[in-house]
Amino acid sequence: MVDASGVDLSVKIGKLELPYPTFMGSGCYGSGEEFEPFVDLSRLGAIVLKSVTRMPRLGNPTPRLVHTPAGMLNAIGLQNPGIDWYLEHDVAKFASRPCVVVGSVAGFSIDDYAYVSERLAARDEIDALEVNISCPNVASEGETFACDPNLTAKVVRAVRATTGKTLIVKLSPNVTDIASIAREAEAAGADALAVINTVRGMAIDVERWHPRLGNVTGGLSGAAIRPIAVLAVYEVARAVQIPIIGQGGIETTSDALEFFLAGASAISIGTANFTDPQIPIRIVDELAEYLRLRNVRSLAKIVGKANVGFSNAYQYEGDEG
Amino acid sequence: MASVTTSASLHHAIVLDRQELAPGVVLLGFDAPELVRVTQPGHFVMIAPPSGERAAIALGVYEARGNRASVLFFVVGKRTAELAELHAGEQIELAGPLGNAFTIDGARNVAIVAGGTGIASVLLAAQRLVSSGARVRLYYGARTAELLVDRERFVRDGCELLVSTDDGSMGYTGYITDLLAQTNDVPDSILACGPTPMLRAVARVAGEMNVPAQLSIEETFACGVGGCWGCVVPLVRSSAQAPSFPPAERNGSDVVYARVCKEGPVFWAHELRW
Repeated sequence: MVDASGVDLSVKIGKLELPYPTFMGSGCYGSGEEFEPFVDLSRLGAIVLKSVTRMPRLGNPTPRLVHTPAGMLNAIGLQNPGIDWYLEHDVAKFASRPCVVVGSVAGFSIDDYAYVSERLAARDEIDALEVNISCPNVASEGETFACDPNLTAKVVRAVRATTGKTLIVKLSPNVTDIASIAREAEAAGADALAVINTVRGMAIDVERWHPRLGNVTGGLSGAAIRPIAVLAVYEVARAVQIPIIGQGGIETTSDALEFFLAGASAISIGTANFTDPQIPIRIVDELAEYLRLRNVRSLAKIVGKANVGFSNAYQYEGDEG
Repeated sequence: MASVTTSASLHHAIVLDRQELAPGVVLLGFDAPELVRVTQPGHFVMIAPPSGERAAIALGVYEARGNRASVLFFVVGKRTAELAELHAGEQIELAGPLGNAFTIDGARNVAIVAGGTGIASVLLAAQRLVSSGARVRLYYGARTAELLVDRERFVRDGCELLVSTDDGSMGYTGYITDLLAQTNDVPDSILACGPTPMLRAVARVAGEMNVPAQLSIEETFACGVGGCWGCVVPLVRSSAQAPSFPPAERNGSDVVYARVCKEGPVFWAHELRW
């Protein structure tokens, strides 16, 4: 969509054509309706729904949240009603969302991922799938897939076989070489990569001599992880040709620009919505202004511009007038 | 339990007044007529810290009358410290009202139990009950007399006041719930807000009295609007408040985690499984 100022912020992710380059991160945004009183959903690019699994999940014991310096730890544990219930009771209402709706799939086996993906992708209310192979909060299981290039490839191939809809694979930062995982996901058929999920962490109550989270460990999000995420995007952008949805601690337009310049085609906002649900709209408006002031007519032109030797970068030609 | 509000919105409110009720305890009044119009006793708001650098903070709506609503809070960390720095004329961004509300219809003899910061969430309920003709006793406990903030306000508004302090500087020495347990005049309804150990004790005492108790739970929030499932409490599946979830694979089938910010923050004591 060309903004009123004449700047094009639209982005193509697989088969998705989004007017704005903003995703709302999975697990942070419920099913969208929770935020509807506070933000115009039609001004968002896409909502990534909370992950759904094959069987219902109670979720992790409490406490599930700890606020930490410049961020927070969470360990929700994929609480969800399971795919049967989800399809029967929840999915129909997603049709009314005035933005793109991305379903999120989690699992504990390759068969799980394929089963849930096939059933979810079959629904018209779901525009695309995100494969969550990187949840750090389900005891040694979920994240295993994102930490092993071979398992990543197997999961993505299995899910790819179930749907022609746009497939986004969400990668974990808790790996030695994220680029090698990214390459496997691309080769196995991913249309885009979400970079990154939360960073593993923990906090301890020094009065009680006890971990603060019921799950002991959790996933760190918020500004604290932004430099980790920017680097991950930078490295993944050099390794793959498919678009990257950059995420991790984005709170401001300047933060978002770091991700675009590192090589992300779109961004995802999670924890910052908890401070101010208007942030995604403000970022979009300010991005247009930033580009207009620099005579850059489309956001796509700055993707990867700070990525030295980034082969897929658009050539920046300062548009005149 | 009163139904969940659907009239929440964002408010850009101007701070009208700021008063330090005790060291580190601040009462912040702000201009928010739309919020006042739809707020029910028990509702809370999420206020964005002025710096915008930290997660929004959940606070019960303390007063709501005319154009002015207020929050009463204890400075316990960086976010509340930021809020405490605000002065008249400055703007705050807040979302609300959020959560469900106390059920107060029909009660004639009510005990409200407030521990420490819990006082911030019970004034509206007390006022509503008094104006409906109910007898309202406020059981108010704190570490020390100085922290029994704004207690006279409740007396002026028609409550009987019973207090306890940990250090014996005022009223009963010990837990406020012990004072409640000692009463010979059993209430027909109990409302409570305070630290979790106090709420557990209220649930126990209420059970022994066979009196229905509504507990407004304090929990760490992230989103505050039901989106993240971080602030949950275990609830019996048969509760009217239980989110509609099929039985999960462990911990049996009779418990489901409910969101304090969405299904709560007010829960029936006998339906909690904590």
